[in-house]
Amino acid sequence: MRDIDHQDRGGLLGPLKNLSFFARQPITEPLGPRPASANYRGFHLNDWDLCIGCSTCQKVCDNAAITMVKVPGLAEDPAKGIRNLRPAIDYGRCCWCALCVDLCPTGSIALSREYVHTCLDSELDSYFILPDARGIHGTPYPKGWAKSTDADLVALERQPMTEQAAAVRIENFAEIVAGYDANQALIEASRCVQCGMCHDACPTHMHAPEYIRAIWKGDLEGAVREIYRTNPFAHTCGRVCTHRCETACSVGHRGAPIAIRWLKRYAMDAVDHARVKQIAAEGRADFISGKRVAIVGAGPAGLTAAFDLVRQGHDVTVLEAQAQGGGMVRYGIPDYRMPADRLDRDLDIITSLGVKIRYNTRVGVDLTMERLQAEYDAVVLGVGLWMGRSTRVPGADQAGVKRAVDLLRAVAAGEPIEVPQSAVIIGGGNVAMDITRTLARLQQQRYGEVRITLTALEDLDHFLADADEIREAREEGVQILDARGPQEILMREGQVAGLRTWGVRSIFDPAGRFAPSYDPADEQIHPGDLVVEAIGQAADVNLLGEALTEALQWHRGRLQVDSQGRTNLEWLWAAGDMVRGPDVVSAVADGHRVADSIHAYLSVQEHAP
Amino acid sequence: MIEGHQGSYDRIKSKTSLKEILEVACSFESSARDFYRDLAPKVSKNIRWLAEELAAEEQCHYDLLRGLADHPDSVEQVAVEVQTPANNTRFSDAIHLPDLGPRPDDQAVLQYAMGREHIAMEHYQSLADGTAPGPIRDLFVYLANEETKHKAELEKLYYETVHSGGV
Amino acid sequence: MRPENYEAQRQPPSYDYELNIGPNHPGIEGNYAFKLRLNGDRVIAGRADAGYLHRGFEKLMEGRLWIQNLAITPRICVPDPVPMEVSYCLAVEDLCGLVVPERAQWLRVMQLELSRIAAHLFIFGGHAATTGMYTPMFWGIADRDLILDLFEEMTGGRVYHIYNIPGGVRRDLPDGFGERVTNTLDYLESRLPDYDNLLFTNQVFVHRARGCGPISQQQALEWGVTGPNLRATGLKFDVRRDDPYLVYDQLEFEIPTEAPGDAWARALVRRREIKESIRIIRQVVARLPTLAGPIRCPIPNPLAWNVPAGSTYTRVESSKGELAWYVVSDGGERPYRTHVRGPSQMHAVQVLEQLAIGCRIEDVAQIMFSLDACPPEVDR
Repeated sequence: MRDIDHQDRGGLLGPLKNLSFFARQPITEPLGPRPASANYRGFHLNDWDLCIGCSTCQKVCDNAAITMVKVPGLAEDPAKGIRNLRPAIDYGRCCWCALCVDLCPTGSIALSREYVHTCLDSELDSYFILPDARGIHGTPYPKGWAKSTDADLVALERQPMTEQAAAVRIENFAEIVAGYDANQALIEASRCVQCGMCHDACPTHMHAPEYIRAIWKGDLEGAVREIYRTNPFAHTCGRVCTHRCETACSVGHRGAPIAIRWLKRYAMDAVDHARVKQIAAEGRADFISGKRVAIVGAGPAGLTAAFDLVRQGHDVTVLEAQAQGGGMVRYGIPDYRMPADRLDRDLDIITSLGVKIRYNTRVGVDLTMERLQAEYDAVVLGVGLWMGRSTRVPGADQAGVKRAVDLLRAVAAGEPIEVPQSAVIIGGGNVAMDITRTLARLQQQRYGEVRITLTALEDLDHFLADADEIREAREEGVQILDARGPQEILMREGQVAGLRTWGVRSIFDPAGRFAPSYDPADEQIHPGDLVVEAIGQAADVNLLGEALTEALQWHRGRLQVDSQGRTNLEWLWAAGDMVRGPDVVSAVADGHRVADSIHAYLSVQEHAP
Repeated sequence: MIEGHQGSYDRIKSKTSLKEILEVACSFESSARDFYRDLAPKVSKNIRWLAEELAAEEQCHYDLLRGLADHPDSVEQVAVEVQTPANNTRFSDAIHLPDLGPRPDDQAVLQYAMGREHIAMEHYQSLADGTAPGPIRDLFVYLANEETKHKAELEKLYYETVHSGGV
Repeated sequence: MRPENYEAQRQPPSYDYELNIGPNHPGIEGNYAFKLRLNGDRVIAGRADAGYLHRGFEKLMEGRLWIQNLAITPRICVPDPVPMEVSYCLAVEDLCGLVVPERAQWLRVMQLELSRIAAHLFIFGGHAATTGMYTPMFWGIADRDLILDLFEEMTGGRVYHIYNIPGGVRRDLPDGFGERVTNTLDYLESRLPDYDNLLFTNQVFVHRARGCGPISQQQALEWGVTGPNLRATGLKFDVRRDDPYLVYDQLEFEIPTEAPGDAWARALVRRREIKESIRIIRQVVARLPTLAGPIRCPIPNPLAWNVPAGSTYTRVESSKGELAWYVVSDGGERPYRTHVRGPSQMHAVQVLEQLAIGCRIEDVAQIMFSLDACPPEVDR
């Protein structure tokens, strides 16, 4: 291949051949703007409706070209994982690598098909922009480099959780989920973009980004340390938390949110219990304040407050009506979701710090509130929602009609209950699911088959229960009938025989408020030896006594407390479900809140002359 | 209309002028208001808000009907309202009128109140059905409509109070 | 800039004088100084002086996440940025044990060879300019732009593509891209006779370039010369063939060599390589439609990516010679140490200083350009 003879000394003729170019028409490109290629990485576009202000773009930016700017007037909703921050770009730093696009969890950022920006010296600020969907010059150039499956760098898929199959788990009360192994936890933790939406959404503002990162780094003790900064019910919340963090997770906008709850569970299980105890005790006050605090109810709210107060050097006594601690976590949540031995670990850590719990002590019966007021410097009420609501339809007062909370408590306490051959459950929340699935297991053990019908007012789209609970209950053989309104308990020979319901045409008005519309023509009979009502719960405040009830301020049926959880009485605080409604992690948050308030109150007392 | 006594039904049925009917309707509302006012101190403080709220609600109804009674020329307004009937749907776990014992709880009070509104609504409706078309019939329809709206409001409150803890 | 180079040195009285070429000079593709000692128009000694472009890339990379370094790598060499990206990605892939999907490997070859053509067009125009002929430079730059158009479509960027990512590439080709590549290649091929007429058979260029700055094969090996500069001494060595990476072992192409080792031979080797690259790209265009499948293997979240501890040296054949990254990981989120073996480091410093001795001043710029030394490779 010698297409050019370089031995030749060259000639004059060759260059002259190119004079022929003079005869060619010149080509003139038009000056007008034209869009660049379809994948061009031009200037930033940001769809503000999609953008959630998670700052992931800022984190991956090579050159610190992105600043998150607060834009007043934009939506800000920690529960949904939306901040009113939007990225601003400094084109003096940007290198147009588009990693911000590829790692954007929502896909709001794109680069335009626009080539040029230039300006006079006086307009140098124009290189610093807060991009919206219209682009740097307000002229809508089409999107160039945008989110694509080719280039997406967000890890959208969650590590699968191993679970007992329905046919197996229906036979037992063992925990359904197996938990992550070390490798799964590491991969799952590595998906996190560290945006902190979870922290903002969490009622107790757990340091989830920090412990996820610690898990990823293999520093499990560090993870436990981060967890204990805000949550002494760590085993519990690793299993049954309502995980608002995951609802807010920015990765969840296009994919599956990080399994934050399972990661917490993993970290707690992976570290030796004795070591967890040591970590939880770190930072405990090395003095005794001499102040005494009584807490009524050894549930998550009360014990969290106790945990904090003991760490601050106060003397805390918890009064618990039941034989064991944990409140609704123990007596409301079945073992297959929340194994009692894990709750025991949480309690062991709390009591190891010096919290005293007096079991089988019912305030209002065994001792009065007045006595607590007299003997302690501060009192916290955390009695939960233990009174099951009844539909009060005709027949609801029969012996064969039970409240879900009562049955669940009896099962958890190991008391014998009569297992019905067939049962009807009224209610569509998680408590309804808990009693349904508990009875299903008992039926399976006793009779070898599950015969349970669950009816709820709400249609499936509006069920209060988690979607997983509904799916799993169905897998276990439970018949779930949505949009059915209970009318009457049917009796046969003095025994409960079933439930009569009407179909619900619609249940909410356009404003989302309850406005049921029934269809009497759509009547059904659901046979069952037992009807369980699981429609709602209320706090039993009889322990207060009449005088105290009068002295306290109430707000729409609940104790009125200030933002710190304090009632209108100086010595009395209230926390947990009875104030906030049912939720473990909110109760934990509440416990911290009242502990802070009490500590501040007691400290002021301390310094008073 | 109090607790569906046949007497009150007859009492209003015998009235023939709009003003007379409205006067009687007003008196029903005021007696309901007085009932809740009397109830408030009898119930536990934590649910007293309910009785107070119901009394305030009845006072609003009273004020509305009072206004109509004092200005009978506003019947035209009534006719317009009648064109858009409120939707009556029975929320059945509530309409069984309980016996309000000496210390009723919040659920009982709400059920009672809903029952009252429901019965009132049904009676106005049957009065309307038994009346020839004209201003008086329109008025009955209007009153039935109002009671339906009141009941709907109570149903929302009932759900939020009784069903809210069911998570 | 090293101040000691610029202190007035006491010299015995003579007719010798000093002359600075650069740091801004059309004879080279970046800021770079060459300090000459002359007697009349004859060079007595030359001293290469880098430092005007130093951006501290290697150090900078130690402070950035593995993936953030992607944006830095191509900036080491403007005319031929692709080998930088590819070899960095090969290094990370090697450390992580990532298997790059076949389609991505072919896409990388296409990108690499397009870049080689662009770089050669750039440099051959520059070389011509140093002999006083500016038309080839304009032509070379204009035709290079057609390749940049292809890059814009393929990678989203004209010059700095940031197209490669550990595990593969970031985008698949747009529809109809193969046809447009073929059209451009057809056009470029049709231009080669024009270039030959204008330059390679041009008496002026031939006379100027032949015998200018000769390197013997022995010297080349001793001085660490690689790439076209080495092949111009008659040694048939090319990383693509002798230590194949990607899918080069599946491609048919020649390794052009010339014997004399002078500026002329170096220009000619590059001119021939353009043709070989066109040949390679045509094979890629023909092969790509048969390769379905992903363009990237799964990689971890870039914000939480630890690269296993170890070190690796991944070399590729750039338009300038053997280019490689030496990357050391301590198992962390960022490189522990990175080092670029820029072929121009040798060409622009020790080789140039030797070749300049004894030549005439007007040939210095030509020698510089004929070595295709890219100062940013020297100053990382």
